[in-house]
Formats: sequence, C-alpha cells, structure tokens
Amino acid sequence: MSSLRTEGLTKSFGGVLAVDGVTVELRDGAINGLIGPNGSGKTTFFNIVTGMIRPDAGRVLYRDREITRHAPHRIAHAGIGRTFQLCRVFPRLTVLENMLVAVRRTRLRELMAGLRDAGETERARHWLRRMGIEHLEEAEARDLSYGQQKLLELAAVLMAEPDLVLLDEPAGGVNPALIDRITGLVRDLNAEGRTFLVVEHNMDMVMGMCDHVIVFDRGAPIAEGPPSAVREDPRVLEAYLGV
Amino acid sequence: MRTVSRGLPLLAGALAIAYPWLVPNYYLVYAGALTVMYAAMSTSWNLLGGFTGYVSLGHSAFFGLGAYGTGLLVVRLDVPWLVALPVSALLVTLFAAGVGIAAVRVRGASFVIVSIALVSMMNLVVQGWRSLTGGSTGLQVPSPFPGLHRGQTHLVFFYLFLVLLGVALLAWWQISRSRFGAGLRAIREDEDKAESLGVPTAAYKVAAFALSALFVALAGGLYALWFGSLDPIFVFSILIGSSMVLMSLLGGVRHLLGPLLGALIVAPAGEYFLIALGETQIHLTATGLVLVLVVLFMPEGILARFARRRAGPSIPDESADQRLQGVSS
Repeated sequence: MSSLRTEGLTKSFGGVLAVDGVTVELRDGAINGLIGPNGSGKTTFFNIVTGMIRPDAGRVLYRDREITRHAPHRIAHAGIGRTFQLCRVFPRLTVLENMLVAVRRTRLRELMAGLRDAGETERARHWLRRMGIEHLEEAEARDLSYGQQKLLELAAVLMAEPDLVLLDEPAGGVNPALIDRITGLVRDLNAEGRTFLVVEHNMDMVMGMCDHVIVFDRGAPIAEGPPSAVREDPRVLEAYLGV
Repeated sequence: MRTVSRGLPLLAGALAIAYPWLVPNYYLVYAGALTVMYAAMSTSWNLLGGFTGYVSLGHSAFFGLGAYGTGLLVVRLDVPWLVALPVSALLVTLFAAGVGIAAVRVRGASFVIVSIALVSMMNLVVQGWRSLTGGSTGLQVPSPFPGLHRGQTHLVFFYLFLVLLGVALLAWWQISRSRFGAGLRAIREDEDKAESLGVPTAAYKVAAFALSALFVALAGGLYALWFGSLDPIFVFSILIGSSMVLMSLLGGVRHLLGPLLGALIVAPAGEYFLIALGETQIHLTATGLVLVLVVLFMPEGILARFARRRAGPSIPDESADQRLQGVSS
C-alpha cells in the first residue's frame, strides 16, 4: 500500500501552470526528497496535498483513500503533518502551548479538558526533549531564535502523531550544526516508521538523507529514483544547470 | 504574594457587591449597572475578539436581537420574563451560529464589514416589520418588578448584570485553560498553521462566535426588561458594538479582566462626558480621544502594559545550538 499517491494533479494561477498533471507515488516508510529549480511547483504540490490549495484537476490518495479537497485539519487527522517554507510558529504562545495546539481528536469533552492535561504535557515534553529545547517550554515562541523555532515547528507537527511528514525546506536559514541535527532527527524518526517527503535546496542534505528523490521542473516530475541515479540524470542536469 | 493575588479578586468581588450600598444616590447605582452591563458585553465580545482576533463591530445585532426577542416573548406571547430571557438568548445563539458559518469564512477587514452589514440589516428588518416589532416607534416592555420604584429597579438589575458578568468571566477563564482555548488562540496567531495541526478552525470560530453572541443576547434581554423601552436605532447601533471593541482594546484583549477594566474606564467616562459636555455627540469625541491615546501608548491595552512576560527576549540566541552541539559532541 502506497503512503501517498497523486494522479494527474493540476493547478494553475491565472495563466501560470504551477502543477501540471502530476502523477507520483511516495515510497512508504522511506525518506522521499522533492527537488527542483525555484518555481518548479514543489510548494504548490505540498499545499495541494495538505489541503491548503484546491487543485483544478486530479486526485490525492493517502493509504488508498481519496483526500482531494479535504480541509487541512481533516488531512492532519488522517496522519499527514507538514512544516512551512518560512518557519511558522504561534509567536505569542509559549513553547509548551505551541505543542498543545495540535489536535488529534475533536470530541467536545477532550477539547474542554484542561490545557495542562498531564499525559499530553508529558508527550509534549518528550518531543521538546528530543529537539533539545525542553528548557524553553515557558518562553514565548517569538523569543526563540530562528533555529529554535524550526525545531519547535517540527516538534509541534510530531505532536499530532503523523505517519507522513512533509518538510518544506527544513535546512532553510539554519546553521550547519543544526542542519546535521535535523538530518539526524529525520533519520531517527524515519527509523521509527514515519515516511517523509522533504523539499530542499541543500543538495548535500537531500542526497545524503533521502532514499528516493523526485525531481520537478515546470510543474511536473522529470525524473525520480535513488539519489545516485538522479544526480547523473541528464534531464536533471539540464533543469538545474541548463546544460 | 500568592495570598495577595488570590485575595485581590475576592476583595474586588466584595467591593462590586457592596457598591450600590456605598454610593450616595440611585443615579450612581444606575451608572454602575450600565458599567457592569458593558463589562459583561465586552467580556462576551472578547470570547471571539480576544481569542481569535476576529474583530466584530456588529455584536450590537445580538444585543438588539436579545432585547427584542425577550421583549416580544413577554409582550406578544405573555411568556414569563425568566423564561423569555434564556429562550431569546438561545434563539439568538442559534441564529449567530448560522450567521457565523458564513461570516467567519472571511478574515480581517472583510469580516469587520460583514459584521457591520449584519447589524445594519437587523436594524432595517426590525424597523421594517412594524406589525411585530412596533417599527421605528419601538417596543414597550413591562417591568418585571412593577412593585419597585425606578431606583430599586436599578439596584436589582445591577446585581443581575453582575451575575451575567461573573458567568461570562467564568466562561472566558474556563476556555482559556482548555485545549479549545489553545486552538482559538492559535487561530489568532496563524490560522493556516493551526488548521495544518488538525484544528478545525471553521468549527472553532463558529463556536466562539455563537458563544460570544449568547452572553451579549442575555445582556440585551436584561436591558429590555430594565429600560422597558426599546428603540431600534439605539439597540442596533454600531456605537454599542464599537463600545465593546473599545473597552476590550483599552483593557487588553488577551487578558481575562481586560474588557472589564476597559468598561470600568469607558462607561463611567462616557457618563461623565455626557453630563459635563451635554447630550451632544461631542462626548463621543472625548471617548474617541481616550482610544487614540491608548492605541498610541498602550497598543496592547492597559493590562498588557503591566502584565509580566513569562520570558523576555533575554533567551540567548545560541542556547539551543550550543546545546545541540553539546548533544552531538
């Protein structure tokens, strides 16, 4: 069973065809990479899969169930979590509150339960510890550095217990030590059974971390396969280098 | 310190209860009841505005509907006021939920415009439906306490509004401590991000909108019973909705007691300006000046100015990275 599959996914903005009939299938249990030049449709693809944008045509299937046009929160409940290209946290909430926003169920009784439910708080602290930012739990998110916010964003996504995690440029704007740390975390989380789809411009990170790489150009996939094969693919070289 | 912080609300509550017996005349009891009514309404408004950041200028629609609903049930159907009040408020809440489904689909300035349109439409409907509402001549509602003189009626309604305020504060406090409240605050901070974390933002916003309308409708119903005369121009006035916003902004929308504090300043100030400057619109200018000053010098409200930040920007930027390096080494 495929984790995520799209069929003929198409989206245009005005006259610009951002995603052009994309049919792809992620490797279940793998770290999938999605690369391509700027404007190749990677983030639009992310936004369609997570329900932020409605496609003009095509289908999105997650674990063989159609989720096309579902509201983003329903897609999150189905088990798909995501981060954003520009790191997004809730700036005026504390780090711990940021973690406790994630909702897995929407029963009224649970929603009106105290925010500081002991079990949920302990789960939040577990993820904060894994990110190395548990000492900041009472700080407001806006007071964290960008790198710390990146870690918090990932921790909050994991709080919702997704099976598939979509990371949009996890290495963007962070220092090399943190890139190594994020890479290690993704590998560990993948080893625990989570599937990843990573959009990233840092080729060292993608080639070193991903099991399977899909390359987009002008809104459509032009190549896919193991990193070593993709790296040598002439279509990829042409898309990136114009040679 | 903890004893002091626990004792202060008790002291404030005791002072509020004792207020009518401490002031020298019934006019001040009336002014107190008016202030507590506005405090209850702005606290209710803050269930939506404070938590989600959706600024409604049209909450007077729910005030007016609550007032007319209660009044019509009493006058046209001879329903006892104790039944008419909650029934009217519940009907308004259901109406608000229906309106909310459409209204909260738009954000920012568009939502403000929608909320203004709502109150204008309600005003036109009530004025136009003369056979039921009395139209622009208004509706006379008999006093629920005919044996009491006017001053004593002010006293009774002071306490009724005080109970409503207490319930509204309790609701706000309970929500602020819940996961539902965390979801609402997340909507205020970043709605798309909240949605991506599994928060059903549309349902949350509609729930907050309806709950907020409930207490405002109850205030409207009490107002109808208190004043006994409903003028559609006044009860569906944008000014009432603006007052709720002004009071909340002044005190601080992110704080439980912010709207209450705002009401304690704006409502008595309004009464003072009315007496000092006469029954012209100029007293509104004075109130507007207060708002301008607050926005200039305390944009997040008075309480935010004095509230303690849980952690300031003193967190070293490198701390996480240093720790990470420590972990990896």
